[in-house]
Amino acid sequence: MTAGQRGSGAEAAREVGLRLTQAEPLNAVLHWSQQLLEAEGARVDAMPTPGPLASMPVALKDNIVTVEQPTTCASRILEGYLSPYNATVVDRLRAAGAMIAAKTNLDEFAMGSSTEHSAFGRVKHPLDPTRVPGGSSGGSAALVAAGVVPAALGSETGGSVRQPASFCGVVGVKPSYGRVSRYGLVAFGSSLDCVSVFGRTVDDAARVLSSISGPDPLDATTVDRPPMQVPKALPDLRGQTVGLPQEYFPADLEGGVATALRRTTEQIQALGGEARLVSLPNSVYAVPTYYIIAPAEAAANLARYDGVRYGKRRVGPDGDIRALYRTTRGEGFGEEVRRRILVGTYVLSAGYYDAYYKKAQQVRALIAEDFQRVFASGIDLLLTPTTPTPAFKAGEKTEDPVAMYLADIFVCSMSLAGLPAMSLPVGRSEGLPIGAQLVAPHFGEERMLAVAQVLERAMDPLAEVR
Amino acid sequence: MSIGLDEVLHVAKLAELAVNENEILRLVDQMNRIVNYVARLDEVPGDRTAEPYLAGPKAVTLREDVEVTLPLARPPSAIAPEFVEGFFLVPRHGAMEDQ
Repeated sequence: MTAGQRGSGAEAAREVGLRLTQAEPLNAVLHWSQQLLEAEGARVDAMPTPGPLASMPVALKDNIVTVEQPTTCASRILEGYLSPYNATVVDRLRAAGAMIAAKTNLDEFAMGSSTEHSAFGRVKHPLDPTRVPGGSSGGSAALVAAGVVPAALGSETGGSVRQPASFCGVVGVKPSYGRVSRYGLVAFGSSLDCVSVFGRTVDDAARVLSSISGPDPLDATTVDRPPMQVPKALPDLRGQTVGLPQEYFPADLEGGVATALRRTTEQIQALGGEARLVSLPNSVYAVPTYYIIAPAEAAANLARYDGVRYGKRRVGPDGDIRALYRTTRGEGFGEEVRRRILVGTYVLSAGYYDAYYKKAQQVRALIAEDFQRVFASGIDLLLTPTTPTPAFKAGEKTEDPVAMYLADIFVCSMSLAGLPAMSLPVGRSEGLPIGAQLVAPHFGEERMLAVAQVLERAMDPLAEVR
Repeated sequence: MSIGLDEVLHVAKLAELAVNENEILRLVDQMNRIVNYVARLDEVPGDRTAEPYLAGPKAVTLREDVEVTLPLARPPSAIAPEFVEGFFLVPRHGAMEDQ
């Protein structure tokens, strides 16, 4: 069911309710109700003009605030929290005729790469329940992959939509920083956070992104540009020059991923595009740079969860205010969030700020400059693997945080540079999906999506690559 | 660079985070692994620089200082753990208030 193929809102509410019930074993959903779905269906049916997303059920990652349903960020510290306002993206989806279908499970406060770090249990991969769907937007990815909804919103700080899109075999699009309002997205790393989109098809993802993009007076970091247009279909890839950054194709790349990317490159050439080797030398430092900057910003952003202003409150044994803060935060946050707050506080503390945070800002600028140089040399888009391997087993990386962080090795440099990027399913290895990543210059989403549509038409995402 | 137990406890205090005694040694080990990994940035020479990266439009730093009305569906009293007569209610800070 894609845009343009839907019936009434009432019908969509019934169908999605049934599919949500069937999908319960995935543990992908934190909040939904048939009553709210029916209210959404009735609201859409009463709209005088059907919008571009008429009757499209869209799921939301549970770090996007909504008035009618709780927003927990999959954390005990926000259990039962009801926002007093809706995120701008929620209002825009509704204005376009979409129906808010459910709030989805995630790694707590969007910190993780497997959706195993949720206070409400891990999300299972729709094709193999022993594996992870990726993260942190794993609930949204799993729901789209399972065919429950045609599209869902997630959020990206360092690849949290592209990586699970690749693992689950769906389309995942991160827009340019500033393209979509962050008002109502619970803050994690403010210089990195982007509301992002999953779709069963490139067209569904593009329609949703077009509907939610554009400037917002409630978010000063949105750019004063008109909303993104749904791209016009291209017949082929003639005139498109695609760069292959050598640092993203290491010799030890997993066999299935390497084969799928080689086939994608051959397809680009067969469709008339040019493929050219390029270099992004500072990308090898993207993961350590990200894991300084993101925890530093998280430590500051999550200081607000102190048990005083909102959320759960645990009074400490001594009854004083500091004990209240520490007990509330120590018991309310899960292990990964506590670890990142500690790392962030450490790299910002006196004596270490220059060695870590200042250095990371220097390297971030170098990473961004690499992309600018390559795009200025006549490259229209970049092609890389989205992830170094297909979906890994649950529990495989939970004891080693650095091993988990390396699952994001090909996605976090674009987040550091604020660039638009997407994952497109391009084949399967032993039954598990593999994603190819396209990267565009700032505000180059339309060309990126148009090229992805051409590849989507030409390639079979279900084909075994070896 | 390595982080010891005392340093982790100090950082936890700065972060207002209670740390469970049962997890502290594991936490020290994991913090060391992370900090040693991110120290890879030392390989980048200090004199290799680029224009500072600014997230978002340049106008962000120069925007008009205009108040924007934020429509709320619920008042703050509905979301705070305790709210009395227009104020957030917090437990008394024993040491100071007893004086």
